[in-house]
Amino acid sequence: METDRQTRRQRPRERVGEGGRRLHSAGSAVVVSLGALLVGAFLNAPGIHKSAHIQSEGWKRDVALAVTGPLDSVSGALLLDEPRRGLKAVLGRSDDDEIDTAVALPESPPPGNPGAEPQPPSPPPTRTKFTPKKQLRLWIAGDSLVVVPGESLLRAAAANRAIQRGAEIDGRIASGLERPDVFNWFDRIREVMRKERPQAVVVMFGGNDDHGFMTGLPEGVQIGSFGSSSWVAEYRRRVAGVMDTISRRGGFLVWIGLPITRDAEQTRRYDTINAIVSSEAAVRPGRVAYLDTYFFFAGDDGGYAEYVTDSSGKLVKMRAGDGVHFERAAGDLIAGKVLAELEKRYDLTSWRKR
Amino acid sequence: MLFPTATFALFFMAVLPLSWLLMPRGHRWRPFIVVASFVFYSAWDWRFVFLLAASIAWNHVFAVAIHRRTRPAARKRLLLAAIAGNVALLGYFKYYGFAVTSTNNLFAFVGVDVPLEVRSIVLPVGISFFTFMGISYLVDVFRGDFEPTSLSKFAAYLSFFPHLVAGPIVRPGELIPQLDTPRDPRYVDTSRAFFLIGTGLFMKVVIANHLAASIVDPVFGAPDQHSSLEVLVGIYAYSVQIYADFFGYTNIAIGLALLLGFQFPQNFDAPYTAVSIQDFWRRWHMTLSRWLRDYVYIPLGGNRGGRLLTYRNLMLTMLIGGLWHGAGWTFVAWGAIHGTALVAERWWRERPGFVEHPWTPRRRAWHRFATFQVVCFAWIFFRSDSFADAWDIIVRLFTAWGETSPLVTVGVLAAIAVGIGSQYLPSRIPLRIMAWFSRLPVPAQAAVLGVALLATHAMGPEGVAPFIYFQF
Repeated sequence: METDRQTRRQRPRERVGEGGRRLHSAGSAVVVSLGALLVGAFLNAPGIHKSAHIQSEGWKRDVALAVTGPLDSVSGALLLDEPRRGLKAVLGRSDDDEIDTAVALPESPPPGNPGAEPQPPSPPPTRTKFTPKKQLRLWIAGDSLVVVPGESLLRAAAANRAIQRGAEIDGRIASGLERPDVFNWFDRIREVMRKERPQAVVVMFGGNDDHGFMTGLPEGVQIGSFGSSSWVAEYRRRVAGVMDTISRRGGFLVWIGLPITRDAEQTRRYDTINAIVSSEAAVRPGRVAYLDTYFFFAGDDGGYAEYVTDSSGKLVKMRAGDGVHFERAAGDLIAGKVLAELEKRYDLTSWRKR
Repeated sequence: MLFPTATFALFFMAVLPLSWLLMPRGHRWRPFIVVASFVFYSAWDWRFVFLLAASIAWNHVFAVAIHRRTRPAARKRLLLAAIAGNVALLGYFKYYGFAVTSTNNLFAFVGVDVPLEVRSIVLPVGISFFTFMGISYLVDVFRGDFEPTSLSKFAAYLSFFPHLVAGPIVRPGELIPQLDTPRDPRYVDTSRAFFLIGTGLFMKVVIANHLAASIVDPVFGAPDQHSSLEVLVGIYAYSVQIYADFFGYTNIAIGLALLLGFQFPQNFDAPYTAVSIQDFWRRWHMTLSRWLRDYVYIPLGGNRGGRLLTYRNLMLTMLIGGLWHGAGWTFVAWGAIHGTALVAERWWRERPGFVEHPWTPRRRAWHRFATFQVVCFAWIFFRSDSFADAWDIIVRLFTAWGETSPLVTVGVLAAIAVGIGSQYLPSRIPLRIMAWFSRLPVPAQAAVLGVALLATHAMGPEGVAPFIYFQF
C-alpha cells in the first residue's frame, strides 16, 4: 500500500487532457489570468480610462481615475494603445475613446438697450401642414427612459403617412445633460439638427441628472450640490441651450417630463429637474411643449404605482421592475400625448379628409 | 456584478488564488466560497442574500428530513411541502403580478370587478435557477439517488457564483461529489477554461450586443418603421443574439469554474444545426432540457401512458418550460409552439408506415433549414412584449418588401454569419486551438489572451448590456 502511494508520488499522471492539450497548475492559471488582464489593460488603456472617467461621482471613480490615468499615460508613451486606435479607426469609431466635456450652446440673443422695454415674445409659428408627399421628419432622443415611449411613438406614427418612416430612437444609456463626457448631447443635437433637420423633436432627459456633479462647466464656474442655486442655474442654462438649439433650427420640441418613481427621494429630485424644464418650456410657446407625465403613473393615492387600471378597466403593468423605467402600456400612453402635442403644432391629419 | 466588467475581474482575481490556497482544507474553503458567492450576489441587491440563504436552509432541512424518514407516505409529504415552498417563493417573486393581472383582466372581460391588489415586487436575479437546483436536490434525495450532504457543502453547491445567476443548472450529482474532494492544483484545464472565457466574452460583447443595438431592438421596438427584409434579418439576428448572449454567458461560467477546478455540464451543442425540434432541445440550454425531462416530463408519466398521454406530457412540459422563462403569455406561446412541434414530430414518426430514410446531405440540410425556421418563428413570441407586438412583426414580414433596408448592413450580416457559422465548425478546430494554446509558455499565453481582450473590448459597443437570461 505504502509502495503504491510512493510510486504514485514519484510518477504523476501525464498532464495531458482531451485533444492533447497540456494541463497546467493552479499557479499557472493565476499568473496567466493576471498577466492577461495586465496586457489587456495596457492595450485597452484609453477605453478603460474613459470608462473610469464616466463613472458616477464618488470614491470608486476617484480610485479608478487614479489607476487608469497613469495606465493610459504609460500605454500612450509606449505606443501600446496604437493597435486599439487602429482597430477603432477601421471600425469607423475613432471618437469612442475621446473624453469630450465641451458644452456648446447657442449664444444668447444680444442684450437690448439698457432701459428699453423688454421685447414681447415672438408669436407662435403657424400650424404647418404635412401630407404623405410632404412628410414630417421626426427625431426621438434622450436617455434610456425615452426608449419605450419612443418605440410606442414610432408604432403610432407608422399609422400616419404624413410622418416620415425610418426614424430611429437615439436612446443613450446613462446619459444626460450633466455629463457630456458620458455622451455629448449638445454636439449630437447640433449635428442632427444641422444634417437631418427634423421638424419635430421628442426628447426625454434628466433621468441620470439627479446628482450634484457636472462636467463641462464654463471656466471659473463651480456648482454646489444638487438643487442648489448654482446647480439650478447651470442646469437651466443647459436645458435652455438644448431648447434653443432645436427651435432655432426650426424644430418643434416636445420634452417629456420625468415620471414619479418608486423611490420618493428620487421623485423629489426629479421634481426639481421637471420644474426647470417646464419653466423653460413655458417661455418658448409654440416652439417647445413640456409634457408632464407625473400623474399618468400615480396610483389612486397619488403615489407610485407599478400597475394602473387603464381606460378600458384593465389592470396593466406600467412600470418596469426597477421602479423608474416604463413598460409598453406606459409608452403607449405617453406616445398618445406626444402625438396630441405634435398635432397642436402641425397639421398631420387633414390630408386624410380629402 | 456582470462577468465582462472590471469589477468582476478584480473580484475573481482575489477569489482565484485564495480559493486554491484554501482548497486543501475543505472546512475553510467551503465557508470562503459561500461568502465569496454571497458577496457576488449582493452586488445586485444585498437584501436578496437573505433570500438565497433562506432557500439554502429550507432545502437542506427538508432534504435531511426526507432522508431520515423511512415511511414512503411521510417522505412524499415532506417532498411535496418542500417543493411547494420553492414554488411559492418563485411564484411570489416572479409570477405574482402576472397572476393577479391575468385574473383581474379575465374577470373584467366578463364584466366582474375583482379588486385584487398588485404589489410592486422586485425579481431577484437568478431565482429561477437556484430554485430549480434546490428542487432537483430534494427530488434526488427523495429518489435515493443522492444522500443529503452537509449544510456547508450544500450551500457551496447552491450558491457557487459561476452558475448562481444564470446557470448552467448543475445537478447535485454533478457538483457535490466534486466538493467532497479537494481539486488537484497540479492539473487544471486552463487552456479550455481560457478558450471558453475568451469565446464567451466575444460572443456576448461583440456579437450579441452589436446585433441587439444595430437591428434587433429597433425592429422589435417599432416593426412598422422597417422593411420586410429588415424584419426578417431582425428575427434571424435575434436568434443569433439570444444564442450568443446565453452561450457566451455559459461559456464564461464554465470557464471560471474550470479555473477554480470544477467541471460544469455542457449547456449548448450547436443548437442551430439541429435537424428537428427534438434534436434542438438536445442541444439548446441542455441543462434545462434535462431538468424538465427528469423532474417534469418523466414524473408526469413520460411516454409510458400511450400516445395521447405522451403528447399531453410533452405539451405540458414545454408550457412549463415557457413559463419558467418569464411571467407572460408570450412565453407560454413560445413553449406551446415548441410543444406542438415536438408532438407533431412524434406523431409523424409514430404514424403507420413511417420509414426512417437515411440522412443524405440534402435531407439533412433541408431538415436543418426547416427546424431553424420553426425555432426563429417561436423566438418572435419570446422577444415580443405582447401578442399584438408579435403579430405586428409577422404582418410586417410579408407586407413591406421592396422598401429600403438601411439596418441590414455588412456588420449585421457578418455577425449573424459568425453566430450561425461557428456552430458548423468541426469540433477538432477548437480542440486544436486549445492544444496549441496549452503548449505556449506562460507569458505567451498571457499575451495571446491580452490581445483577445483588446479585440473584444475595442470591437464591442460602449457600455455593458446585461445578459438576457438574468431576467429569467
